[in-house]
Amino acid sequence: MLLKLLAPALLLLSTGAALAQTSGVPPEEFDNTRRQAGDSIQVCFDRTSLGRAFDEAVAKALGDALFLEVKVMEGFGGFPLTGDGFMDELNLAMNNDCDMFMGVSVSPNTPLSDSFSITRPYATIPFVLAVKNPDWQRLGDIPKDQRLGTAIASMGEMNYITWAQQRSKADRWVRLPYADPNLMATRVLDGTIAGMILWQPVLARLQQERPEAAALRVIANDPIPASETHVGALVSSRNGFLRSQIDQAIDALVADGTIDGLLKQFGYAGRAGE
Amino acid sequence: MKIELLKSVLVATTALALFAGPALAQNAAAPAATAPAAAAPAADAAATPAPERTKNYVPVTADMLANPPKEEWLMFRGNYNNQGYSQLDLINKDTVGKLQLAWAWPMAEAGIQETAPLVHDGIMFLQTNNNIVEALDAKTGDLVWQYRPTLAELPSSWSYQINQARRQKNSIALYEDKIILTTVDARIVVLNAKDGKPVWEKQVLDTQKGYSYTVGPLIADGKIISAISGCSIAGTAGGCFIMAHDINTGEELWRFNTIDDPENPKQGESWGDVPPENRWGGTPWTTGAYDPATKTTFWGIGMPGPYSELIRGSGEGSVLYTNSTLALDVETGKLKWYYQHLPRDNWDLDSPFERILVDQEVDGKTQHLLITAAGKNGIVFALDRDTGKYLWHKDTVQQNVVTGVDADGTVQINTDLISKAVGEEHLVCASVSGGKLWMTGSYSPLTQAYYVPLTEACNTVAPTQVEFTAGNAVGAVKFGPRVLPEGITDAGLLDAVGINPTQGDHKWQYRSRPSMTSSVLATAGGLVFGGDAARNINAWDQETGEVVWSQRLNAPIGGYPSTYEIDGEQYLVVPTGYSNAASSISSAFPEIPLPTGSGNSIFVFKLPKSGS
Repeated sequence: MLLKLLAPALLLLSTGAALAQTSGVPPEEFDNTRRQAGDSIQVCFDRTSLGRAFDEAVAKALGDALFLEVKVMEGFGGFPLTGDGFMDELNLAMNNDCDMFMGVSVSPNTPLSDSFSITRPYATIPFVLAVKNPDWQRLGDIPKDQRLGTAIASMGEMNYITWAQQRSKADRWVRLPYADPNLMATRVLDGTIAGMILWQPVLARLQQERPEAAALRVIANDPIPASETHVGALVSSRNGFLRSQIDQAIDALVADGTIDGLLKQFGYAGRAGE
Repeated sequence: MKIELLKSVLVATTALALFAGPALAQNAAAPAATAPAAAAPAADAAATPAPERTKNYVPVTADMLANPPKEEWLMFRGNYNNQGYSQLDLINKDTVGKLQLAWAWPMAEAGIQETAPLVHDGIMFLQTNNNIVEALDAKTGDLVWQYRPTLAELPSSWSYQINQARRQKNSIALYEDKIILTTVDARIVVLNAKDGKPVWEKQVLDTQKGYSYTVGPLIADGKIISAISGCSIAGTAGGCFIMAHDINTGEELWRFNTIDDPENPKQGESWGDVPPENRWGGTPWTTGAYDPATKTTFWGIGMPGPYSELIRGSGEGSVLYTNSTLALDVETGKLKWYYQHLPRDNWDLDSPFERILVDQEVDGKTQHLLITAAGKNGIVFALDRDTGKYLWHKDTVQQNVVTGVDADGTVQINTDLISKAVGEEHLVCASVSGGKLWMTGSYSPLTQAYYVPLTEACNTVAPTQVEFTAGNAVGAVKFGPRVLPEGITDAGLLDAVGINPTQGDHKWQYRSRPSMTSSVLATAGGLVFGGDAARNINAWDQETGEVVWSQRLNAPIGGYPSTYEIDGEQYLVVPTGYSNAASSISSAFPEIPLPTGSGNSIFVFKLPKSGS
């Protein structure tokens, strides 16, 4: 069902409009040769991905299921929040280097292009609300004069904005967008903002890396509805056969508990598959 | 140890033999563009020894920069006033039809064609992408030297810089016997103009955070004035800068933050609840102008980030100093005045483009104007450049974002186009790629007209979450395809806007199916030169808009056409190559195929010698 939503949505993003300063990609940059892959696949990752290690573990499990050697290639990262240059570089990576690109958000807003298509989700992982104040058990407990932080341009943020736009200013919290989860956590800990809405794997990583982040705890989202991200992969459009094989392998890994095991191993909330 | 040393010697010797030997049978010599870095004697090095051609190179003085010899093209737009106007007149309405190709030169690498060649002392200094600079004999096109820096490989996590490295930035700068360039990895590099060898370099800002130079510097008051990009990347929150560095030492002298000015409370208030550490944008990505009389430098500033106020949290605030003109004291970096051309931008309608300084005599008094087609919506503004006072504005391309400007200069916007919900879509004109884009216009004192290259285009805009890598933040606005406005069939427009202190008028408008893809050059020969996606370099009559000369070249016309004179002969320089200003709206003129190779080149024309 979710995948059906994708088709009409976003060829729009691949139209070559130059955001801010970017200017497209000269045709010479695209490699027109056919890779001699043998029994391997080149799997790319966003170096800045928040779930990078988990996604690599899933890729290796997919490779094992398909008897393919997984060659890890870093994809790209470091784009402006505006997405300036993003589609240029994604098209280039998918054309030149990547059979598969792990860890993408499978949603109606997922960027699409002729260069790639999207697999079914291999995991579904929630956004959470984290606070420091021990008196609060749910978002509704936080006074409206307090501020919230949201992970900028995330599904969790969209969920909050959609809810907030339906209420008067007095009946919603002021929201500040953050691109750096570390900074956002610091601002929760120092009391600048009351809480933060972020992807659960990010909170898990913060709590592994920063001892003081142990003071952060997850409370219930209500009155806003829950939000979650479906995680899948992009597959090169050159290889429709690979796409169907990957989808079948994802189904198998979901069914046999492999994905659930990896979620547990990495401390991620959520569930396998869609 | 000895074994290791021996191995090194063997490898080095073998490599030398491989690269030094003649081409055997079908083996071709490695093209220069892919020649190994091992050929370079130092980390940043020129490939050739100091050449005879530049032995007696005449330094560029401060006086020359203030009053450029008409035979030369010393800076980005030829003069501190950014007019893009040449006093040369040998090529004129009567002679232009006789232009012949003098020489041509392929650029050192593929990339986006936005180069602005400079000419001094018979040498053309040409920047191509990846920060390559070439010195060419401006009369013959022969290579004098090449600076091909051995750059550290940009890690794949620096994708924005990799993307920007493919752009030939708009300009380098000349001063004394130096060449000053700004790099994609946020350095200022100073080269010796005689041989292209580095003199000093400075890491200006932290590339790891996302900072990157995408436009060239301005040399004014003995300082390097530069402006940084990358200000919409997560790590650069709260800081986007115009800076001054000492030209001899690289010492930073001042910096001005375009999105956080504690000395102006109105600036902070304009961001609503959003503190500086949650602000992005405000990139000044066109080289500024300079008025030596008042020691003021003028820069245009880009859009806010995120694009949509729904996402950025700034409410109805005007988000200063985005989409503004800033007038800065070149000695101190202090703000003299600002004027905002587009408050509350929700559509990535950047306003960083050329600021042009114009003096006009009215009733015996000199009026000091600043004129600009500041932003992608193409509206031409005139300001008093001494005070920042709004004088007038004039629409050019179809646009539906600005509904009017109050007498005090307050710009009124169409709030119906501001999305109130995620996913709410509006058709916005001009488009995110312009309307107006980086291609600069020219002002001609002959006709008192501003010639602006434009594209008629619209696109849909909707705030959304484009969380590509799960949980990561990239992109908060969805743009639809770039399309022609309803009822318009010509994408290209060259608008000649008559300028005076009280109003602007359409002197003429030249419309064409293909989009304009280059900056334009006005000359004392009564001509305006510019080009389009159909590979035509045209000369228009400044008075009438009639095309009096046209030549079809190898690729869309790009960069910044310019002109110079050597030994009594006037030359016309025309860059060509890959252009997104062509490809992003090519569906509007399907009968004109675009080349699939970029073909980045420069073509140089001149008149035949008399009697020939």
